[in-house]
Amino acid sequence: MDNREVKLSIKNLRISFRTDGGKVQAVRDISFNLNKGETLAVVGESGSGKSVTSRAVLGILANNAIKEGGEILYDGQDLMKISEEEFCKLRGDKIAMIFQDPLSSLNPIMRVGKQMTEAMLIKGKHNRSACRKDFNGMLTRLNRYMDLAVAEGDAAVRAENSAKCAAFDKFECKHLQLENAFVAAKEAASEAVSAIDDILFHIEKNATAGLLGEIKEVVDRANESVNRFVADARASELAAETDRLKAITKVAPMIKVRNFVKPIFDRNAQPVDKTDYAEVAKTLGKIKDILAEAIAFDEPNFFSLAYYLTFTGETVPEMTVAELNAFTRKDLDEKFMLEFIRRAKSAIMYSNRQSVDNKQLAIATMAELVGIFDGEFDKKQAYAAGKAINHAVETAIDRLDTIKDNISYTFRSSIRAAIDSYFGGIVRNAKEEKRYAKQKASYDKKAASGKTPDWKVAEKNLVDLDAAKAGIRALIERIKTRYERDIAEADSIDFDARAVAMIDYLKLKASGVAHKVTRRSAKAHALKLMEEVGIPEPRKRFRQYPFEFSGGMRQRIVIAIALSANPDILICDEPTTALDVTIQSQILELINKVKEERQLSVIFITHDLGVVANMADRVAVMYAGKIVEIGTSEDVFYSPAHPYTWALLSSMPDLDTKEKLEAIPGTPPNMIYPPKGDAFAERNKYAMEIDFEEQPPMFKISDTHSAATWLLHPNAPKIDPPKAITDRIARMKKAADEAEKLTAENNDLQQTVKATPNSVDAKADDGDGMSAEELTARTMGGDLADEAKNAGVLPDIERAATADAQAETPAKKPTAKKSAAKSATAKPATAKASTAKKTTAAKSTGAPKSTGSRTTARKSTAKNTETKSDKE
Amino acid sequence: MENKENIENRDDVLLRVEHLCQYFPMGPGRELKAVDDVSFDIKRGEVFGLVGESGCGKTTTGRSIIKLYDITSGSVYFKDQRICAGTRSYKDAIKKARADRAAEIAALKKEKAERLGRGEENDVLVPEYLRRIDEVKSRYGAEIYKLSMQKAEANHDQKHCDHDYSDKEVARMTAERDAALAACADDEARAKTMREYKDKLRIAKRERIVNRIQMIFQDPIASLDPRMTVRDIIAEGLVIKGIRDKKYIDEKVYGILEKVGLVREHADRYPHEFSGGQRQRIGIARSVIMEPELIIADEPVSALDVSIQAQVINLLNEIKERLGLTILFIAHDLSVVKYFSDRIGVMYFGKMVELAPSDELFAHPLHPYTRSLLSAIPLPDPNYEKNRKRFVYNPLAEHDYSVDAPVMREVSPGHFIYCNQAEFDKYRQELGADK
Repeated sequence: MDNREVKLSIKNLRISFRTDGGKVQAVRDISFNLNKGETLAVVGESGSGKSVTSRAVLGILANNAIKEGGEILYDGQDLMKISEEEFCKLRGDKIAMIFQDPLSSLNPIMRVGKQMTEAMLIKGKHNRSACRKDFNGMLTRLNRYMDLAVAEGDAAVRAENSAKCAAFDKFECKHLQLENAFVAAKEAASEAVSAIDDILFHIEKNATAGLLGEIKEVVDRANESVNRFVADARASELAAETDRLKAITKVAPMIKVRNFVKPIFDRNAQPVDKTDYAEVAKTLGKIKDILAEAIAFDEPNFFSLAYYLTFTGETVPEMTVAELNAFTRKDLDEKFMLEFIRRAKSAIMYSNRQSVDNKQLAIATMAELVGIFDGEFDKKQAYAAGKAINHAVETAIDRLDTIKDNISYTFRSSIRAAIDSYFGGIVRNAKEEKRYAKQKASYDKKAASGKTPDWKVAEKNLVDLDAAKAGIRALIERIKTRYERDIAEADSIDFDARAVAMIDYLKLKASGVAHKVTRRSAKAHALKLMEEVGIPEPRKRFRQYPFEFSGGMRQRIVIAIALSANPDILICDEPTTALDVTIQSQILELINKVKEERQLSVIFITHDLGVVANMADRVAVMYAGKIVEIGTSEDVFYSPAHPYTWALLSSMPDLDTKEKLEAIPGTPPNMIYPPKGDAFAERNKYAMEIDFEEQPPMFKISDTHSAATWLLHPNAPKIDPPKAITDRIARMKKAADEAEKLTAENNDLQQTVKATPNSVDAKADDGDGMSAEELTARTMGGDLADEAKNAGVLPDIERAATADAQAETPAKKPTAKKSAAKSATAKPATAKASTAKKTTAAKSTGAPKSTGSRTTARKSTAKNTETKSDKE
Repeated sequence: MENKENIENRDDVLLRVEHLCQYFPMGPGRELKAVDDVSFDIKRGEVFGLVGESGCGKTTTGRSIIKLYDITSGSVYFKDQRICAGTRSYKDAIKKARADRAAEIAALKKEKAERLGRGEENDVLVPEYLRRIDEVKSRYGAEIYKLSMQKAEANHDQKHCDHDYSDKEVARMTAERDAALAACADDEARAKTMREYKDKLRIAKRERIVNRIQMIFQDPIASLDPRMTVRDIIAEGLVIKGIRDKKYIDEKVYGILEKVGLVREHADRYPHEFSGGQRQRIGIARSVIMEPELIIADEPVSALDVSIQAQVINLLNEIKERLGLTILFIAHDLSVVKYFSDRIGVMYFGKMVELAPSDELFAHPLHPYTRSLLSAIPLPDPNYEKNRKRFVYNPLAEHDYSVDAPVMREVSPGHFIYCNQAEFDKYRQELGADK
């Protein structure tokens, strides 16, 4: 987990609110990191500061909020210090939020469709230009460093470098156009297939109401799926079938009954559906066959194809996809790619070396100048030193690193703010002392004359100068240790990987450029999202106003809007509290799915621990503005350490709870006067004396798990969690063990079955390094073994089946070969494995068909296990 | 429902809902069947849970019972008195009877014409057919009369059940007073008793049976008037009931406040000064002060924090034990419902699909919708959650009701399920295999 990229890091965040009653300290010094593709759940009662934290990340704190200090580092920026304009670029696009109350986050006088596409359209335009800028900037920098890396002043090499970069730019755009068209067509085809399945099901069940609209949609989708690589060969056939379908399903005219007594038309007359559904089903079946075949086609390597099309040939040569891939790949590698990667690598190496050198210089500068910030120092000197260090840091940044180093990028603003706070503090403190002295004098005077004044002298609100000074030093210290680590690690960097990462980065940015959001595509995307979040009849709903939706539906719209802009970080503030279980788990599944697909980082705020267990990779428990416990979800649920976590867990009934619930007594403390010691001490039955005296520090329990409670202090008495919790944990452990045993048994069974067919290719593998093909072939073998197993559960029968399959192999050899070849195309980059081995692998499996059979094999396995578990 | 025995054995049934239907008009010729033919009964002292996804009609059921809507069809009996009655079923039956009558008469006339065509004597046929038609008419007439009487009765019950109840109360009070008067020795004592009972009679006159059912609402913020003090909010029901004795009301309010875990001083504050859990306590106090026999708790904990949820559930449990309340508990959080209820009814799109004691329901869920609902409960156990498979319910795929229409059937004692005969056999078998 540690080596994962940190997306967002919050450091020592402190936020207060000015109110009539005084200053409410909502968030008191919290720090955590959010990794890429991870869900962090923040749990706590209302008023514990969880929403305030997330709002600070999004820069939408209320007007009376005071940002007392701390940093929120994201993508080379400190979100505590950037301006509103810069925030506008982040919100919705990079960081999106799902709010708790759907009604207040929707505009009541705008149709939901418009609200959903609005963000997409605005962000789409901005995103394209931003991506263009990033792409160009990175490519230019790469070009410059390539020049620097090779030799100074070698004009020929320089010209070559520029040419390479320009070429990359040129064909990358072509690549994306091709790929987007392919993906769109393929998606249309697969959507059509699933819709056809649905329609056929309805026809079978004789529930044909409203099917005609869906059929029309299928026709549209099917027509959209015609592409050079998708449904090309049978395009005319497909068109004929869709036309036929259109002709059959033409809606019969509305039959209106004339009423002679009252000569008006019957308003309730329904159109009579005279469609011949048997015929429809037949035609749909044909369309489905064509499309299913089209989907099964392999994807050509558009990257190399684009290069070929741009620089070598005019049209796509007529050959199979595999051949085409090999051909274009070779073309690309020979003429461009290998050389480009080599140069990029040297550029990156050069840049890194330079950065390391500069870092050493920066460390020297810091060592020299940090002394200034000890003891007394004057303003001019301090700012000059700050500037000098900042300059050193800025030159030391490796501009070719695709992952921005937050600490270096935000150093400038941080050090400036730190010095400002020190000198501003000196001035403010003087003023404050003066005011206090004046008020105190007048109060004392009044008191001396025998009256009791009806006002109090406000306490001195002083800036802690020592802390401010220490803050400056800590900043410098932090970047220094960071640089030392970087220098130490500099030798072990894998520059090949870095070069590939660089190309991926450029590809990603280029895809942002090629991705054009039009009104139409935005609508299509919005409709798809609406369907995904479980809104029936999205086309009708698209044109409705928020008030026409129920609470759950509104919430789903809000979620769809948040997902529509494809954010980097998603903050969910109790998104499912108002929904019922089925919808809740549907929405959670959706968020999880999107998270997996897009490597989204999620901050999930909730008080439902069941939901937390479902969603969270890590859990942070907050109380009274502090994180009291943080750890992976296993840590927090199976070995909770803080009494507050115990209380939360035991106050929630689960399905086996019978005894009285352990409610947490009392209410959270008033944060205008935060308690001196542990904030939870008042409500904690395990509280010790020290809990009322001093705040507990974070005690580390394991690498991932820490909690702030004095109970973890080595001198503290040993206290076990309440019985309700230990019981529940024991119960959960037992259930987990049982489940494990079950799966283990299943695995054993599978392994014994697998052993026979796999032994052949296991032999063939001997002495060879593992390649991707082998892995694929192996998994295929495994799958088919499963299938064979399903054919007869007994091993004996199974063996016989394998024998049969082997006997049949000669007859089926050509197909088998083809299938192996197809699997090879999946990884064209390493397409060098021997055909002989492929045949062995395929032979051993006796694969009758390629991908199709694989999926059926999987399905039947799943089915089989289901029936089996049912039996049990 | 098939548990005739249970219905016959009325001693402990507090609330009985029979074929409750609540339709809402949705424009010309269209209706929304929010609740469609739901039957169940609640025994005295038990907690009956009603679960289902949002929009399945569980809240509407609760609101229909407490007469916030005029129900379309069916009846609700509370303490053996019908408090809600719908007329749709009678109207439909009358319509059908009339249509049948017309059809039968037409058939007779046709027959007569045929026989005439065959050359039979007109003079013989006319009186015969007149007699037969009269017979049909009188047969159907009796039936229609019976139905319209039932309809009128239903109308009366729907409109005047409170009046009937207060009449009964007044009669009881008068009898009590007469007895007391008879026991009095002189005029002075008699006058004193008269004075005493005057107030009681006035209150008895305003007594309503629906007052014996009280409701707790979901949203503790929206359901309390922000411009009334807690005392006014809690005492409002008593004031409406006709109690004028300030001191008595105050004592009662203080007592109830303490019962729900608040203190006397809170009585003069306004709702916004309280936290969510405390507000829900006020909501509970407001309904408990009327000394109801049945409380309809409509998602009382859904809008609260976990720690406060536990407080409120504990409080409800405590009050239930102490006052012997019966509760209809409507919620979508199944863990809470399981913890709190004795029996659970599962609703899906206006229909009750399964009804069973809570342990039985969770141990042997039979209806596919119940299974899908149970499979969606998130539990605070990461390992379980990682492996949890949600089961999707698709009524079209699960049931084939084209031949045999489903009804409520009792699969095992106390366990009812909405199914047809084939499914019923299947469920029986499953249960047999399970046990």
